[in-house]
Amino acid sequence: MDKTIEELHNLLKSGEVTSRELIEESLKKSHEIQEKYNAFVTILDDAKETNVTDHFLSGIPFGIKDNYSTKDILSTGSSNTLKDYVPFFTATAVQKLLDVGAVPVNKTVLDEFGMGGTGTTGHTGIVKNPWDTTRMTAGSSAGSACAVASGVYPYALGSDTGDSIRKPAAYCGIVGYKPTYGMISRYGLFAFASSLDHCGVLTRSVADAAIVTDTTKGIDEHDMTSWDSSDIHLYDSLNGDVKDKKLCYIKELCDIEVYENPTEELKKHLENFMNSLEVCKSLGMNVEEVSVDKQLLDALPSVYVAISCAEATSNMSNLTGIIFGPRGEGKNVTEMMMDHRTKGFSPLIKRRFIIGSYILQKENQERYFKNAQRVRRMLVDTWKNLFKSYDAVILPVGSGPAKHLDESKDILTKDTAALEEHLQVGNFGGFPSITIPNGFINDLPVALNITGNCYDDENVLNIAYAIESKMNYKNQIAKEVHHEQI
Amino acid sequence: MSKFTSELVDDLAAKLLIGLSPEENQMVLDEFAIIDENLSKVDSFQNIKTIEPMTHCLDDFTFTLREDEAEPSIPIEDALRNCDKTEGREVEVPKVVGGEN
Repeated sequence: MDKTIEELHNLLKSGEVTSRELIEESLKKSHEIQEKYNAFVTILDDAKETNVTDHFLSGIPFGIKDNYSTKDILSTGSSNTLKDYVPFFTATAVQKLLDVGAVPVNKTVLDEFGMGGTGTTGHTGIVKNPWDTTRMTAGSSAGSACAVASGVYPYALGSDTGDSIRKPAAYCGIVGYKPTYGMISRYGLFAFASSLDHCGVLTRSVADAAIVTDTTKGIDEHDMTSWDSSDIHLYDSLNGDVKDKKLCYIKELCDIEVYENPTEELKKHLENFMNSLEVCKSLGMNVEEVSVDKQLLDALPSVYVAISCAEATSNMSNLTGIIFGPRGEGKNVTEMMMDHRTKGFSPLIKRRFIIGSYILQKENQERYFKNAQRVRRMLVDTWKNLFKSYDAVILPVGSGPAKHLDESKDILTKDTAALEEHLQVGNFGGFPSITIPNGFINDLPVALNITGNCYDDENVLNIAYAIESKMNYKNQIAKEVHHEQI
Repeated sequence: MSKFTSELVDDLAAKLLIGLSPEENQMVLDEFAIIDENLSKVDSFQNIKTIEPMTHCLDDFTFTLREDEAEPSIPIEDALRNCDKTEGREVEVPKVVGGEN
């Protein structure tokens, strides 16, 4: 299970290993990881082997974030409001994997309904970082990142509304990819903020991300925002030829001089990022610094919260505990719903619903919701202008390695840096965006991100593939370097 | 525009059918203060009001509607399987019309 998909496929085809043996190894590892890091809501101990075909994914185990609907399998969204919910249908992305003989072995923990970035708000408890159990995995695809990094399987499905695949991938030292909006059907994914939600995957190599997405993508009559991507062949396009490609990075995010009191971790992180730019140049790419209006970048985190909270408030009004979810107590329907929602939602979710509700009130819409949507367009147009001159934007992910568990990232503070949140632009514009590891700080992984224009997924992945090939972090498995004192 | 006060937070929470502790109420106020401050600055962006709000990722998106044909719906048993209280083919709830409320 510490191998790439291609390697596992070749072993299966040659008969050196069987699907049953891979599943058993994956389940054994799942239980070990659950004990240490609490990555799963459900482990599917009755997972059955499948026939090995010519498809890369046949017979190979994988994980599913628990906000994907899976028929006859508990699907909680890591929320108490759905702690006993068993769907009667399967999400399209999952079904496409099942159709080629891939084998799900567990459902992974997320921040409740994907509305967090720490991996600490799931109803089954905190997911710990497999490199350092005193640090967060980030989220919301916390369990998927933890499990892939720990070598439970080569890939797990994730979802990404702000940076929920790409940030945990960075903190766990693996690859996280969300393709262009609508390339993978969202049918069966629990909706958080529909105009920002993306399906995607966490892997340990760019090629594996390409293989999985080639399988999960495609137009779906159940998702009117999906589109025909049959002329996009991600895996076949990986050739590593990036000579004369043009990348840019943003001065206002990457220049250490713009930060008043930078931490040692931030200094090292940005220095390491600059070294990665040299790697890009050595591959024949042109890399240039560009400037983006700082005022616009500073507005980014609040714009994201405003839009996502407003959409979430609306999307999750169906969580009443009447038709599904545990019944609340009360002498009438209103009291029952109040009890269900009060006990079921975590404080973070409640807070965001209230802010979303306020923003959506008619008298407040212009000042908050519409203005946020206007800044969304300004940011997207800024990035699209960059894509007229550059193949992709390359930026560091976050301000350093994984944060300590006692630092709460989900409370929006005045000093929230645009550096922490810039990946949200990828969701605003639906841009293809991939995070790959690019080094270590204090023995903990850090990452860079490549984001390109809509529908240019082949180019984005090929650039990431080329950079990955020049560094030593492909297919790395987490090695616990620190752990909490007992 | 109504001011974002503790009372308003409780009022919104009630409308959302969510109960809040005093600590949770304060956290809403604290978080919103930052959003309010940041989005206040947005108001001063040049020509902000002339920009069309962006509601969707893909500007070039065209919707293809399905044919308007009736398809089989899900079995009632499936629709009710996650409901804690049912009676036959229906969801059971306390009396709504003519009840206490």
